[in-house]
Amino acid sequence: MKIGEQTITFNKQELTLNTQRSIYWKDQKTLILSDLHLGKAAHFRRHGIAIPMDIAITDLNRLESLIAHYQAKQVIVVGDLIHAGINQEVLLLESFRQRHPELQLHLVKGNHDRLSQQMTARFGIVHHKEILETQQIQFKHHPADAADSSSFRISGHIHPGISLVIPPKRQVRLPCFLVSDHQIILPAFSTFTGLDSNDLSSLYQSYAISDDHIFPIRKN
Amino acid sequence: MNTTLAHSEGFRIVNGYFETQGKVPFSFQTKAWEKYAQGYSGLVIAPTGFGKTFSLFMAVLMDFLNHPEQYHKGLKLLWITPLRSLAKDLARAMQTAIDEIGLDWIVQVRNGDTDPKIKAQQTRSMPDVLLVTPESLHLLLAQKQRDKYFKNLRCVTVDEWHELMGNKRGVMVELVLSFLKSYTKNLRIWGITATIGNLDEAMEVLLPQAAKRIQIVAKEKKKIAIKPIFPSTVELLPWAGHLGGKLVDQVVPIILASKSTIVFTNTRSQSEMWYQLLLEAHPDFAGQIALHHSSIDAHIREWIEDNLSSGKLKAVVSTSSLDLGVDFKPVDTVIQVGSSKGVARFMQRAGRSGHSPFETSTIYFVPTHSLELIEVAALKEAVKTQTIENRDPMVQTFDVLVQFMVTIALGGGFRSEELHAIVANTHAFRYMDTEEWQWCMYFITAGGKIGKRYEEFHKVIQDEEGKWIIKNRRLALLHRLNIGSIVGDAMMRVKFLSGGYIGMIEEYFISKLKKGERFILAGRILELVMIKEMTVFVRNSSGKAITPSWLGGRLPLSSNLSHFLRKKLAAATEAPSSEKELHFLAPLIEKQAELSAVPSEAEFLVEHIKTREGHHLFFYPLEGRLIHEVMAALIAYRISKLYPISFSMAMNDYGFELYSDKEIQLSQMQLEQLLSRTNLMDDVISSINAAEMASRKFRDIAVISGLVVQNYPGTQQNNKSLQASSGIIFRVLMEHDPTNLLLKQAFSEVFNQQLEEHRLIKAFERINHSKIRYTFVEEYTPLSFPIKVDSLRQSLSSEALIEQIQRMEKTNVQKKKRRK
Repeated sequence: MKIGEQTITFNKQELTLNTQRSIYWKDQKTLILSDLHLGKAAHFRRHGIAIPMDIAITDLNRLESLIAHYQAKQVIVVGDLIHAGINQEVLLLESFRQRHPELQLHLVKGNHDRLSQQMTARFGIVHHKEILETQQIQFKHHPADAADSSSFRISGHIHPGISLVIPPKRQVRLPCFLVSDHQIILPAFSTFTGLDSNDLSSLYQSYAISDDHIFPIRKN
Repeated sequence: MNTTLAHSEGFRIVNGYFETQGKVPFSFQTKAWEKYAQGYSGLVIAPTGFGKTFSLFMAVLMDFLNHPEQYHKGLKLLWITPLRSLAKDLARAMQTAIDEIGLDWIVQVRNGDTDPKIKAQQTRSMPDVLLVTPESLHLLLAQKQRDKYFKNLRCVTVDEWHELMGNKRGVMVELVLSFLKSYTKNLRIWGITATIGNLDEAMEVLLPQAAKRIQIVAKEKKKIAIKPIFPSTVELLPWAGHLGGKLVDQVVPIILASKSTIVFTNTRSQSEMWYQLLLEAHPDFAGQIALHHSSIDAHIREWIEDNLSSGKLKAVVSTSSLDLGVDFKPVDTVIQVGSSKGVARFMQRAGRSGHSPFETSTIYFVPTHSLELIEVAALKEAVKTQTIENRDPMVQTFDVLVQFMVTIALGGGFRSEELHAIVANTHAFRYMDTEEWQWCMYFITAGGKIGKRYEEFHKVIQDEEGKWIIKNRRLALLHRLNIGSIVGDAMMRVKFLSGGYIGMIEEYFISKLKKGERFILAGRILELVMIKEMTVFVRNSSGKAITPSWLGGRLPLSSNLSHFLRKKLAAATEAPSSEKELHFLAPLIEKQAELSAVPSEAEFLVEHIKTREGHHLFFYPLEGRLIHEVMAALIAYRISKLYPISFSMAMNDYGFELYSDKEIQLSQMQLEQLLSRTNLMDDVISSINAAEMASRKFRDIAVISGLVVQNYPGTQQNNKSLQASSGIIFRVLMEHDPTNLLLKQAFSEVFNQQLEEHRLIKAFERINHSKIRYTFVEEYTPLSFPIKVDSLRQSLSSEALIEQIQRMEKTNVQKKKRRK
């Protein structure tokens, strides 16, 4: 797995955005990601839509490679770890847990997450119903209003993407990070997700991900 | 005629009915009756308005009157028609005839518009004659009582077969016919079609296994008069879309002079524009003219259709939404705005005028730019020689097949070997191999061939008897809601805040608008108020507004027409031309010849034009926009192999442009190599992004095969957790299940439809046999100008566009002055 990186400063902290749709916070040895949507493909299959299982496996493999690459001690998932209910794909978390017994795994609840206490215990997840705060940085599933400057927030939920026109007429859509002085919105970690490419370039600096490259997009 | 039938009771009664109507049967009608009586299946080819319906409907009645003992309670005649609006009129005409003959048969319609109460009553007891769309028929096959419905069926008629054959709905019909034949061994199947280029193939596709089959061609021909509207002067630099508006003053008197008129346009935005133009030119039209296109509410459309035939409406501006449905609603006058781009479509539209079969159909042609007058000359010759396009049947459409298999599983189940045999009997799947069938079985039962990757997949399961069925009620409901092969863009309903439904509009268009912005729909100027739950709320407004440009609105030029177009363009140089259209265009042709050249039939023209903005290469294959898109990418790719350079591209139906701000150096010899047939398809594949094109084709395939679910029961919001775009699924499958048959289908659809491989090869063979005329020019020529304008149109707003064009025109004029 290749990892392209871009380091930014956010609330005086050095954060590394990477092409694997996550952020590494070196000071805290923490990997931050959002919208893993584990079990989504299985949910589709249960409803008669034939989507192969490999997506979940690949997504979890990526996560493990990232943990190994950065030697992360802690993972914060900013919501939507699980897509809908418990199924085989979700149960992959168990073996993941066995391979990383020391890892601190935090989940800030997202709108998709419906995990019983029993389940969070089973997967060894520290569950935060609303919010997690470290070093004056809030982790919350839903982004704050772009004009809100009362806090520093890292969020997900909207699966941000950006639509670019490549001359002469080709249009491409890429996942991206949205960054302002007070907020970072993460792209969805899972590749089996759509993109919201509403143009937010007046409010945020976008960092688009294309294969192994991450590059800032000039503001309009 | 066959004496036994002529002396039969049934013939006497039906003939008597014709007499009371003051009619004499046409010879093709009596021939159809005779062949039907002899047990034939077949194809009736007749122009609209000549009673093609009765050629078969009466045949069935006659057979019943002669052999009542062979008929039993329930459905006897199944009548498949592609259009819902057509069915109502047909049923009425059939019922009237039955009543007057004195039979107790009941004719009913069943489609998406049918009242659920009537549907329920039908499932209890079927009428004698049922008119259905292919979709409604598949829905009937998804019902557990299906065996009961069809057990006494005697005949299936497929109306407007030419409309179905070239698309996936045609494949749906093929599958249904093969399935129904498994119930009734001697089922007679008849098709009715307008003339198309490949009638033999049309019969083969409809009746692949029939032992006794026949084509019956009506000798009667509808006469068509084509009257072009000439602008007052020839513009030497024609540009598309601009001229039409000026001709509206000539169109108004034509409408005023007739009782009823249809104004055909090619796109919905063009129809909205013409509706406004007519109202501005003649304000008294308010309330007397209406707008008819597929985004307008079905009830309003129905009202319009009724009021046009009753004479309450003077004119209707329409798109192809009014192409069909000719039998019972002719009008006085038909006006075609812009080229129809195909011979068949043109004849069909013309056929809507002229009340009696023997009357000449008159169609007025309003060119949108002066060059289109050449298309009039080409159309005239194509109509004269009856050179009508083929409808190419689709094959190996596995998306339709897996949908059908689930449908059959739902309506009581199937055994794999039995259904395999039924499917293999169709034209569409005759070359399907066992492995492909197995794949389809895996797809609906295990999710895919690599079953392990699809754990927890539940759709079609095997019952104790070994039959493949669906048990899960939610899956059954989802499938029923999504039967069909017409995939629309995501549409949103448009409603007034105060209530009242206006029509549908594409989601992507609305998503670009902000609150308070105005747009035009159904001839009204509407202001966007809010969007809630897939509904756009608006209020009436006035002033400037955006006309939505709908995707896919542009019709491609057919290869038949392009052949005549090249011929007429070449002929235009032989002055003075006896053809009015060519004569009128003489000044334009002269200017083209003077600046550059007019290609003869054995020549291929390439213009190298140098302007202040940069360097342009213009090529004129006259093969239509779609082929030009592929050609442009190919030539750009081949040039870039000579030396690094990048181009922007533009195209219309006549030619395409490669533009660069760098100098393009190209010798005659290099140019000839660029246009070579050698390595054609390899270079095409290198020059385009086939995966991206396939991903777009996959959109329909994903919906039809059930990978993307379009319609959910109840509100759509509850089902967000099951939504994924076809693009994502395409990517996932390419990565994790690359042998998936549906992916393969997407790529072959790209080659057959998008790249039109066959036509592309033929075009290059022709070019290779032509002399390449390579001219160097320092200003835009009459042929190049419309292409250039079209390319500007895509990137500029309309006001900016007009300014830009004026600037270009000015520089051309200035150059000329300088030279003098």
